[in-house]
Amino acid sequence: MLGEVEPQITEEEREARELRRRLADWGFINKQPPRIREALKYYVEKGDIRRAARLAGLTIEEFRELLRNAKIPVIV
Amino acid sequence: MLRRVFAVADTCFLIDWARFRRRDLLFRLFKTVFVPEDVLNEVRSEGTIAWISSALSRDYLALYTPSQDEVNEARQLIEESRLRPQIPSVDLPETICLVIGRRRGYVVLTENRGALLIPRYVSKYSGVTVWRSLEVILAAILEGVIKVDCSRPDEVFNEYSRDTLHIFPTKALSKAVEEVRRKCLGK
Repeated sequence: MLGEVEPQITEEEREARELRRRLADWGFINKQPPRIREALKYYVEKGDIRRAARLAGLTIEEFRELLRNAKIPVIV
Repeated sequence: MLRRVFAVADTCFLIDWARFRRRDLLFRLFKTVFVPEDVLNEVRSEGTIAWISSALSRDYLALYTPSQDEVNEARQLIEESRLRPQIPSVDLPETICLVIGRRRGYVVLTENRGALLIPRYVSKYSGVTVWRSLEVILAAILEGVIKVDCSRPDEVFNEYSRDTLHIFPTKALSKAVEEVRRKCLGK
């Protein structure tokens, strides 16, 4: 069972990362203060909203709004 | 399909779902959606708070105060998840929902990928039903809560994506749209 689930998870994660990279507004991201900028880049790569919000020093909801401003989709 | 009675929602689910134009359909699928106190403490925006307080006043949402024993199990689950590199980070608000789901049989509503994967990787939680907004919307369509235009079976999923900037994984979305098509064909 786990053997069947693994490849799909990897494929989903790869698809999600590519979409986040492609749709992100990099102009907006690169204009942010360093802590916010790095947290957004971390999210683009990992899709881990909890850790990214902590990196940014924001609550999850504040970080979710920041993702919208940066045009970074949540893909779950 | 039998009507489910209770669900428990985490922060990631609520903050996106609150932006969906059809958000109140949730209360036609579940008699009560519980919101653990740790989850409520994470919600800050005016729009989300307004929706939650309105639903609380109509008794569609209810606060859930976890017992110390549930909190202890939730902390153990965080530790267990850290031992498995396949699981993205989860924190107390999500794991409390999973513990409630396991102990009380509530459907767990989440958009947290870690929480979604725990039933697949941690056997103690394999029986927990975890739904994303994708599964909520699909259930609403299949149970007739939402009427769909059968010429556009993906329409409601796309509405959600537009309202929230939340995209569903291609395979999961295709499978859901196929189920909608089958319903339209009466299969």
